[in-house]
Amino acid sequence: MSADTATPLNRETILVLVRDQLAEILEKSPDDIAEDVSFEDLGADSLALIELVEALEENLASYEDGFHIDDEDLEGLTSVRDAVNYVALKLQVA
Amino acid sequence: MTLPIALDAMGGDFAPGEVIAGARRAVDELGLSVILVGVPDLMGDPLGLEVVACTEVIAMDDDPAASVRKKKDSSLVRAAELVRDGRASAMVSAGNTGATMASALLRMGRLPGVIRPCIATPIPNPGRTSMLLVDAGANAECSAEMLVQFAQMAATMVEAHYHVASPSVGLLSIGEESSKGTPLVKETHQLLSALGTINFAGNVEGRDLIPSPVDVIVTDGFTGNVALKTLEGALKYVFSAVLDAVGTNEATKAAGEVLFEYLLPVAAKLRPESQGGALLLGVEGICVISHGSSNATAIMNALRVADEMDRDDVVAKLKATIRPDQVA
Repeated sequence: MSADTATPLNRETILVLVRDQLAEILEKSPDDIAEDVSFEDLGADSLALIELVEALEENLASYEDGFHIDDEDLEGLTSVRDAVNYVALKLQVA
Repeated sequence: MTLPIALDAMGGDFAPGEVIAGARRAVDELGLSVILVGVPDLMGDPLGLEVVACTEVIAMDDDPAASVRKKKDSSLVRAAELVRDGRASAMVSAGNTGATMASALLRMGRLPGVIRPCIATPIPNPGRTSMLLVDAGANAECSAEMLVQFAQMAATMVEAHYHVASPSVGLLSIGEESSKGTPLVKETHQLLSALGTINFAGNVEGRDLIPSPVDVIVTDGFTGNVALKTLEGALKYVFSAVLDAVGTNEATKAAGEVLFEYLLPVAAKLRPESQGGALLLGVEGICVISHGSSNATAIMNALRVADEMDRDDVVAKLKATIRPDQVA
C-alpha cells in the first residue's frame, strides 16, 4: 500500500502501510508480519529500520507536510506495534 | 556520452589529498571522467576537476545508518544521489564502509528481490582472475537465503566483469564435507546444491582464500570480514618478515637485490590497492568501496573498476539474476 490523501488515515491504514513497507524491505509477504512481532524477530537490522523510517516519511508526507520521525525516538521502537502507535500518535489519528 | 564517476573526496585516511590525486591520475592516465564531491573549504586544490560542493563529512567512526539521515549534505550521501539522479555512472568512496553502503542503499535503492546488499571483495588469485569473497562485512547476521543470493550476485559479477563462464562457487566452512559447519552453513549447502543455476563446488576452507580453487567464496559478513582482515594481516606480516630477512647481512642484501626484481611484482599484485576496492552488490547503481588507507593509486584503480562495471552493465545483469518471484 502507498498512502495517499484519498485514503482516510486511521490506525488500521497505518498498520497496513507499516506492514507493506516492511514486507518490501525484508522481501517477505505482508501476511508474515504480525502486529506484535519484534523487529529483531523479523530480522530487521538498523539499516532496514532506517529504510522503513524513510519510506514512512515519504508516504506520510501527503498527510502532514514534512512528516518526520526523530532519530532519537527510533530506539524506543522495537516492534511493528510500536511503530504503528508512534505514527498514529504523531499524526493524532485514532 | 559516458557519465562521470562521483568520487567522495572526503573519505579515507589520506583524504582529500590522495583521493584528489588519484582522481587526477584516473583522468590523465585512464581517460576517465570524474566529479569530486566534497567540502570546498576542506578540499584544497581540486587539480582542475569538477566539484559538486557539499557542507558535511561523515567520519570513519560515525554510525552508518544514522549518519546518512543526519548528514544529508555529506559528500557520501551527495555522491550516491548523483548516481540516483542519473548525473553519475557510479560512486566511489574510501570513507566509512557502513555509511557508504547505507548511502547507496538508501539513496539508490535495492535491486528488486534482493534481501540485503552485500560486499564482494576481490582477492588476488595467482594464475587466474581474482576470487570474489562475499559477504566481506555488510551483514554480520545472515540467513541461508541471503547467502544464496550473495553467491548468485557474486557469480554474475565474475561472469560479467572477469568474463569467466560458469564461475565456481565455494561455501566457506571448516571442512569439505557437507556435514561440516554451523547450521547456517549446512542449510546454505543444501540450498546451493539444489539450486541448479549455479556452479556450486561445495565447501572450501580458510586456506582456500589464497590461492583459491574457486571464483567465488560465499560466507556471512562477520566471518567474511574476519577472514579478509586475517588474510590482510598475514600478508602484511609476510612482506615485513621478508624485508627484515633480506636486511640481515651483506650476503642477504646482495641476494635481495637479485630477488627483488622478481618479488616486487608479486607483492604489487597482492597489495589491496591493486584491486581498487570492494563492490557493493544488490543496489540500483554501481558503488565501489575503497580501502580506508587508499592512496592515489588505489583510488585510480577503484575508479577504473567502477568504470569497467558500468561498461560491463553489471547492474542490469544482477537485476536479471535476482528475480523477486524467486525469493525463497
